[in-house]
Amino acid sequence: MIDQIFGVWNYWIVFILMMIGLYIVISKKSLLKKIVGLAIFQTSVFLLYITFGKIAGGTAPILTKNIDEIYSNPLPHVLILTAIVVGVATTALGLALTVRINKAYGTINEDEISASDLVEYHKKYLEDNK
Amino acid sequence: MIGEIIINAFLVTLMLTIAIFIINTRKVISTILLTGTYSLVAALMFVSLDAVDVAFTEASVGAGISTILFLAALSYLPREEKEEKFNVKHIYAICTCTIIAGLLIWASYDLPLVGQLENPVHQNLAQDFIEGSRNHIGIPNVVTSILASYRGYDTFGETVVIYTAGIAVLVLLYDGVSKTSKIYKGKNK
Repeated sequence: MIDQIFGVWNYWIVFILMMIGLYIVISKKSLLKKIVGLAIFQTSVFLLYITFGKIAGGTAPILTKNIDEIYSNPLPHVLILTAIVVGVATTALGLALTVRINKAYGTINEDEISASDLVEYHKKYLEDNK
Repeated sequence: MIGEIIINAFLVTLMLTIAIFIINTRKVISTILLTGTYSLVAALMFVSLDAVDVAFTEASVGAGISTILFLAALSYLPREEKEEKFNVKHIYAICTCTIIAGLLIWASYDLPLVGQLENPVHQNLAQDFIEGSRNHIGIPNVVTSILASYRGYDTFGETVVIYTAGIAVLVLLYDGVSKTSKIYKGKNK
């Protein structure tokens, strides 16, 4: 019974974490907060993969003298190692874009950025039609 | 065995709590520090799930370097988010996320239970990699032998991605660099 509950508990929490990340990306106006939301989503996906690779009673996949030892699956670990490093690269790129946007617009709030874009557009429109 | 399960459930619930706190913080510095804590707890979680290599990469890269990058960006950005009233767009977002979460949890009943030896993921490649690492490559750490040998092209691609991202960041921030140097020159006069 308790095995049944905890057998899916990890999956449930991982799915809820994913949706918290998605909610932050959709609803928050600050660009920095959106990047944090992406990071949360990413880590929950890593957790899902590592959960797939777990074998109860197994050990970490480092070979021992004992031939009959059960090892957890090493393949998801390798995939996630690559994904973690690529994730940091995307975070760095997103932060650089945010800093650049802040320099150009003076704000990182989504609404204010589109408002000042609209103002620019109308100014240009009026100048063209003089 | 039962202790392992309880530790697992505790850590994953702790991650959930931290994520819920991240939603509502408005001070950027506390958002960043909470994100670092979240990564660190995730690293603990990876240790309890037998993924030691992933755990130390997450602790050093996810919790360390990411936090430093966020703090460095913070020095150019506003310290606090604008306050925002709860409006109809938030309700749409909550509805979308709840529906997707419901569907995913419903689908999770078709997933195999965590930690069973008979799960499909353990049936095919893993045994070959472990045997090959013992007999052909001769490195005791199976993750290293897969990363550097069996899936070496993956790792090469990852390096290319990081190189590209580094160049892109330099190009984007070039203006900032020249600006600081101008300030520096001004001080020298």
